[in-house]
Amino acid sequence: MPDEANPGGAPEPQKPEETSAPKGAGEPSAPQAAPPPAGGPESPSAAAPPVEKPAQESAAPTVPAEPKPAAPAAAKPAAPAAAAKPAAPPAPKAPPVMQTTPWEGELVEDLKEEFGDKIKDYSTYVGQSFLVADVAAVIPIIDYLKIEQGFDYLVDITAVDYPEKPERFELVWILYSFDRNERIRIKARVKDGQKAATCFGVHLTADWLEREVYDMFGIEFEGHPNMTRILMPDGWSGFPLRKDKSIVDMDNRWVRENIGIESGQ
Amino acid sequence: MSETFLDSTELVLNMGPQHPSTHGVLRVIVKLDGEKVTGTECVIGYLHRGVEKIAENRTYAMFAPYVDRMDYVAAISNGLGYCLAIEKLISVEAPERAQVVRVILTELNRIASHLVWLGTHALDIGALTPLFYCMREREDILNIFEKYCGARLTTHAFRIGGLQYETYDGFEKECLEFCDKFMPRVDEYEELLTENRIWKERLIDVGILNAEDCKAYGVTGPMLRSAGVEWDIRKALPYSGYEKYDFEIPTRTNGDCYDRYIVRVQEMRQSARIVRQGVEMLAAGPIIGKVPKVLKPPMGEAYVSIEAPKGELGYYVVSDASTQPYRVRVRPPSFVNLQSLDKMARGSLVADLVAVIGTIDIVLGEVDR
Amino acid sequence: MKRFLRTILLVDLFEGLWLTLRTQHPRNITTEQYPAVIPKVGERYRGLPRLNTNPETGETLCISCDLCALACPETLIVVGWVRNPETKRKDLVNFTYDTSRCMFCGLCEDACPVDALELTQDYQMASFTREGQIFDREVLEEGTKPTKFKW
Repeated sequence: MPDEANPGGAPEPQKPEETSAPKGAGEPSAPQAAPPPAGGPESPSAAAPPVEKPAQESAAPTVPAEPKPAAPAAAKPAAPAAAAKPAAPPAPKAPPVMQTTPWEGELVEDLKEEFGDKIKDYSTYVGQSFLVADVAAVIPIIDYLKIEQGFDYLVDITAVDYPEKPERFELVWILYSFDRNERIRIKARVKDGQKAATCFGVHLTADWLEREVYDMFGIEFEGHPNMTRILMPDGWSGFPLRKDKSIVDMDNRWVRENIGIESGQ
Repeated sequence: MSETFLDSTELVLNMGPQHPSTHGVLRVIVKLDGEKVTGTECVIGYLHRGVEKIAENRTYAMFAPYVDRMDYVAAISNGLGYCLAIEKLISVEAPERAQVVRVILTELNRIASHLVWLGTHALDIGALTPLFYCMREREDILNIFEKYCGARLTTHAFRIGGLQYETYDGFEKECLEFCDKFMPRVDEYEELLTENRIWKERLIDVGILNAEDCKAYGVTGPMLRSAGVEWDIRKALPYSGYEKYDFEIPTRTNGDCYDRYIVRVQEMRQSARIVRQGVEMLAAGPIIGKVPKVLKPPMGEAYVSIEAPKGELGYYVVSDASTQPYRVRVRPPSFVNLQSLDKMARGSLVADLVAVIGTIDIVLGEVDR
Repeated sequence: MKRFLRTILLVDLFEGLWLTLRTQHPRNITTEQYPAVIPKVGERYRGLPRLNTNPETGETLCISCDLCALACPETLIVVGWVRNPETKRKDLVNFTYDTSRCMFCGLCEDACPVDALELTQDYQMASFTREGQIFDREVLEEGTKPTKFKW
């Protein structure tokens, strides 16, 4: 991740009226539709037409009356699409890259010796060190760090979704050592559908944390004793934190069958 | 002969989600042998609001009020953690005065959170009186919050880069007054509870979690300290200028419910100490740093954690150089601490389960997010 | 004997009652008689939104810049305006504020460059319908009129 520019993430924010107009019709239109005009008393609906007209006539440089936050939201999931690309050139700046510095130290030497090229990268960003490893090597690394280096506290397991990349998910393990008073991160990438190994055998904390990652992203951890949903209900379909899920998407069938209402709103 | 008579089958008991002692909507499926708990399984998610997803659809500044809704009895701590994480990303540090005010308010909030815990936990165990006393003191703290930022519970007190509100006239005086008043009040609670025979019998040697188990389960906060590990992020990895304050980390060794109670009560005293020092440190100065109006952190990521009243509260924020966070992951202390329930409750009685759930100090808004 | 007398004369009862009676002094009463006495909230309390008008002319202070709508996390503010052909300025036509979804974070208030939108100390804004919670410009400028019940 450190060196690869995010191809679509950059362009969106400044020009909402261009990018939002075509895409606003897409998925995130619901938050726009939600404000008053839907069921309000006479006043908002009466005011609605005059709002639209002058904005177009005068071609105001400011944004139209529609709420802006929907626009960047729209741009992001659809970023790799063709529409986002032409909008990018106005920014002559270099594509944003995470400005990392190499991470050096005794621990890095030890890890290099132990794991060799299974760990691809050692970097530091804003004073926080992380290493990028093969997903298959992560559990041995965590085990080694726990037993040999004293990283005995697994702080967190989480994932980040980059739908435009071939290896879609980035798994993040955060480790802390009480003795060294040091916190490091381990990152690994997995494809959609690829299974990662569980570290339940090393840290018991992983139980719920891995279940949450599975629940939110659909990344399964092999060898986990109880790989079921934890926050969402059991029969739910879809993984809410994936980028292709809009914030208003929900499992309508589940809601209808279990709660007996048409939508979750 | 007696064996066949006394042989019992496993009974599965459903506790919650509306059970008053689960402090919210926690559902615990308890497996019982007689009155002995042979296993528990937590069913959570009833309060899941998708905070992390909301974050991806809001700008950095806009998301700040939402974090208050996670751990709603310690909203200020949540806000502090989030602001610190974003400040780390944009490499801005809050000005001196803002940091001191933040510390004062966070510590007051810690007291408020522990007071709610103490009151409700005592209520669970059967001591009704402390609840009213605790709420009385909490009221004073909430009044300070209301005067400071206009809200009592979900405060939205801090902004990225500093503070939105200057302290009001008499802020220092009220904080000091509160501290003066509060110390004898803590003695009062302790008088009611610490040597109380029923209290001791209900809590001592109940729900033991030793230091190794704590580390294995990732348990942090007062629970870890009650097991004898002297670890507090305020000391270990200081933030917001905590290294300038003189305070102790109360620890105990047994790691049972009683020790957790003692640790929390001692922490309240320490927090009052910090508040007092903070008020002395308060010097004139700017309250907000140089933060651009449209916040676009450079591409990158940061994990920042603070010592929330319940444990390590971490924010892992990934920025893609746009106005909205690419991903915000909250590392909730309650969620991780709750995992250890099964370990602690196994082998105890049903009544002890209530005490154990109480001493984890969970807030379901944070467990489910 | 002494104990017997105490029991007969109900000394303990009266002692207890005396303790109760002592706290009956009006000074010790902390209960607020809500509808009769409206409690005061903090000066910075974030309650009912208000759209300020110029006290002399009665004109709105709002310049229809839309910043509040942009700052709102829940996008519940809708600013309607028409460009005045003579003055080239934006005239406020309508302003709706959906308090049913508002979490009173105060970001709109912070964003307002002319202090036109303000969250006031008024908190009596309940209504019987969801639509009633969507305040239009009139309500925002003049405030809600809570129903007064008589008993």
